[in-house]
Amino acid sequence: MHILVCLKQVPRDNSVKINADLSVNADGIEKIINLFDEYAIEEGIVWYEKHGGKLTILSLGTDEWVEQIRRALAMGATDSVLLKDPSFANLDTLAAAKVVAAAVRKLGDVDLILTGRNSTDDESGAFAPALARTLGWPQLTYVGKVLDVDAAGKKVTVERHLEAVVETVSAGLPAVVSVIKDINNPRYPSLLKIKKVAKITPPVWTAADLGVSGLASATTITNRVPPPSRPKGEVIDGPDAAAKVKKLVDKLLENQII
Amino acid sequence: MSGVLVLIEQVGGEVAAISRELLGKGKELAAALGGPLSAVVVGGDVSAVAAKVVALGADTVYTVADAALAVYTTDGYVAAAQAAVAAAQPALILSGATFQARDLGAALAADLDAGLVVDVTDLQVAGGAITAARPSHGGNVVNAYSFTPGKVVVALVRKQSFAEATGGAGGTVKALALPATTIRTQVASVAPKSGAVNLTDAAIIATGGRGLGDKDNYYKLIPKLAEALGGAYGASRAVVDAGWVPYEHQVGQTGKTVSPKLYVAAGVSGAIQHLAGMRTSRNIVAINKDPEAPIFRVATFGLVGDVNEVLPLLTDELKRRLGR
Ligand SMILES: Cc1cc2nc3c(=O)[nH]c(=O)nc-3n(C[C@H](O)[C@H](O)[C@H](O)COP(=O)(O)OP(=O)(O)OC[C@H]3O[C@@H](n4cnc5c(N)ncnc54)[C@H](O)[C@@H]3O)c2cc1C
Ligand SMILES: Nc1ncnc2c1ncn2[C@@H]1O[C@H](COP(=O)(O)O)[C@@H](O)[C@H]1O
Repeated sequence: MHILVCLKQVPRDNSVKINADLSVNADGIEKIINLFDEYAIEEGIVWYEKHGGKLTILSLGTDEWVEQIRRALAMGATDSVLLKDPSFANLDTLAAAKVVAAAVRKLGDVDLILTGRNSTDDESGAFAPALARTLGWPQLTYVGKVLDVDAAGKKVTVERHLEAVVETVSAGLPAVVSVIKDINNPRYPSLLKIKKVAKITPPVWTAADLGVSGLASATTITNRVPPPSRPKGEVIDGPDAAAKVKKLVDKLLENQII
Repeated sequence: MSGVLVLIEQVGGEVAAISRELLGKGKELAAALGGPLSAVVVGGDVSAVAAKVVALGADTVYTVADAALAVYTTDGYVAAAQAAVAAAQPALILSGATFQARDLGAALAADLDAGLVVDVTDLQVAGGAITAARPSHGGNVVNAYSFTPGKVVVALVRKQSFAEATGGAGGTVKALALPATTIRTQVASVAPKSGAVNLTDAAIIATGGRGLGDKDNYYKLIPKLAEALGGAYGASRAVVDAGWVPYEHQVGQTGKTVSPKLYVAAGVSGAIQHLAGMRTSRNIVAINKDPEAPIFRVATFGLVGDVNEVLPLLTDELKRRLGR
């Protein structure tokens, strides 16, 4: 069985700045594996360990992301590919999914793709559906539990955890699954494994390798600004806790907040 | 391509609040685009809701009713939406941004090779061109978008972005057949979440953080405060990761994004990842023993104090004053 996990690198927090050319500047902020992707990797490892085969990490990114790819390899992935080309810069989610789909087709034998629910920087959450539709595969999004990956029967059964309901759904393989946070407990790679993968450099596939050209996003970012700042707040003072609490409730009632 | 198509969400036989917002805004945008406002209602049974959508001012309400659509599947609902898109030929497709709406909207956009924007908070039409705004990076960046001419635009809109439609001249209902389609997922069951906490819908949220000390103390103080306020209770990631509270209560970058009328943060430091999930709340009350805690920077009302002393007093005072 060949399981593929889509990995995105993101800044640890979003205290980003905006460059003059409207790109987002995350310089000086530590980079990490997108949190939801860590759960996708762990889930991939669980089923890879059960069925054998291959567990590939796929990223459409830059050389800077290799550190994150290595961490995924240290966790237990067996293979990796980095999709990198000047024409891939600033693609929107639908266009990026087309590139990743081309890479999946080039791999040829992928049975199951795992992605995160969304990235914590772009927060689009559209990547898994876009990838599934481009490949013509079924999609199972917002998965909080993988009940079974049946390699022989070519079937995956999951729980989708939506806002108010839990759906139990199955789909034939190959399929795309996006995972949420409480699906598992991602393992920490051991120091030994981190050392072992330290020199691995993932093969790079360019637009030419994938046979994709004329890539264009249907969306263009025309402006980026910081959010409007919140009105200045009020400190609730008082001689003791009881007085402060009374004053707070007065304020909430006066302003018809409660 | 002209006009606007709204993908209607129904809840228990009613038009969802987000769909009423989209019909309100859609009317204005359709006029600016020089086309009609259409809507599509998809499901096993659609007639009651379709009539309600007509009364909310849609010019044409398409219905796609089929036993195969009684439960949501991506394949079934995309095929149904495609039938309405083919009939209406819209320039702009509007939908909500819940998990299910994203599953559908993103798949539909990919099939249509559309311009897709998710979590939209504003939409405009000027000179025939559509523009959209949406936050990213935990609300630290607000992005403005334009779209490649000739491409249909799919906008998945955040709740409470627009005023709801109140009513309008009645349009017509047109029934469409579900196009032949293979539904490749099998839904075995749809179960309501036990002790459902729909934080995203709550008007008031009381959240506790690590300052509550331990799990017992959290449960002794936070749900009671939420109850006195008539709201839901939330948690910081620190306390979710510590196993005090289930993940579905988590607010923040990797939890839920909420925007209630009142958000009370008690014993929460206000880390940037937490603020990402609640900074757009209309009113924020912060209770923390550290006057330098970053949560105070976004607070409408800040109270410096010990949660163990303040919260029981606050719960009692609220119960007394609100007569609960
Ligand atoms: C990738 C990533 C994603 C993340 N996603 C999220 C997310 O979605 N949501 C989230 O919340 N966090 C998230 N975090 C974690 C975030 O960075 C903080 O660690 C977390 O929010 C801290 O939780 P806290 O405020 O409860 O705890 P602390 O930061 O420990 O704060 C506790 C606060 O309680 C106060 N306090 C202590 N005792 C008392 C008392 N007796 N009375 C009153 N006040 C008291 C302290 O002064 C302090 O301000 C994320 C982090 C990362 C790296
Ligand atoms: N550039 C990328 N390379 C690899 N995977 C990606 C990329 N962008 C998004 N993904 C995957 O898609 C998920 C959702 O991302 P998004 O739709 O951008 O919020 C992420 O958690 C990743 O698993």
